[in-house]
Amino acid sequence: MSAYIIPILFIFIFCYSKLKKVQVYDTFVKGAKKSIPLVMDIFPYIVAIMIAVSLLRVSGITSLLADITSPVFNLLGIPKELIELVLLRPFTGSGSFALLGNILKTYGADSYISRCACVILGCSETIFYVTTVYISGTKIKKLLYAIPVALICSLFGSIIACLLCRII
Amino acid sequence: MTVSAFCFLLWTGPDKVLPSMIEASNFTLHHIAELCGVYAVWLGILELVEASGLGEKLAHFLHPIIKKLFKLNDSEAERLIALNISANMLGLGNAATPLGIKAAKKLDDGSGVASQAIIMLIVLNATSIQLLPTTIIGMRASNGSTSAGDIIIPTLIATVLTCALGIILVKAFQKFYQKRKGL
Repeated sequence: MSAYIIPILFIFIFCYSKLKKVQVYDTFVKGAKKSIPLVMDIFPYIVAIMIAVSLLRVSGITSLLADITSPVFNLLGIPKELIELVLLRPFTGSGSFALLGNILKTYGADSYISRCACVILGCSETIFYVTTVYISGTKIKKLLYAIPVALICSLFGSIIACLLCRII
Repeated sequence: MTVSAFCFLLWTGPDKVLPSMIEASNFTLHHIAELCGVYAVWLGILELVEASGLGEKLAHFLHPIIKKLFKLNDSEAERLIALNISANMLGLGNAATPLGIKAAKKLDDGSGVASQAIIMLIVLNATSIQLLPTTIIGMRASNGSTSAGDIIIPTLIATVLTCALGIILVKAFQKFYQKRKGL
């Protein structure tokens, strides 16, 4: 089902543009051209955050944190198998998807742990990454309460996810 | 946090520091090359959406909600935000990102401090409602799930709740800051 969404969306956009007498090819090329300067702009910021994440993982701080915080997460109803996922998710998309792959293989795709992991990933976002990228084009240095609020919501989402998976 | 990682590594494996940094940087280079391709496709499509007037229609449709949340007087920024939110809902994170970057640029007032609208944009992106978590469903199916789609409903409920919480918190903090400024 979901595989059809993108092609249908594209066909619709192309036909609609044609109908509105837009030069489809020229317009597409004009837009596509903007991707290179955009990527050049965000590259240094992504490098910095990726290096920080990799250092955190290699140093073993994340797994240590998972051990230390497990009583707290237990209290919130988040199984300890998922703590590393919850902790890493705000930083790295590819890293947390790799972790999800591991979880699916280890516990089986239909187990409680795996379903929780899927819902947790679905309702959270790589907050630090997205934020870094979004403000990379601006002059912003101070984000006030944006990150804390996003993190609180994310944690709240994880708690809800584990709860929902137990009921449904 | 990076410093604590450095200190930790001094103790566990000082020889791992530079290689892991370079590896991360290399990874990013590959990653960014891929992103460039992805963005080219989406920015091309976006240009079409804009030129054909579809973007305006969508923004018009979402206008009441965005007006309430962002309090903007900039129709272009509003249009970008409308597209960003719609892409996020469909689970098209890669399409949402370039839109978000453009929207943030438009919303920046140059003061160095994030404006209300940018904070709202970040929080909405972080908690965005998911109608179809496409990638995750795909991963479940490929790992032998018998009903890969059964996470759609819990994900939807969870994201609606986090989204609501996000909006409430941003609004509450906003009031708090305004009060402090007023004193």
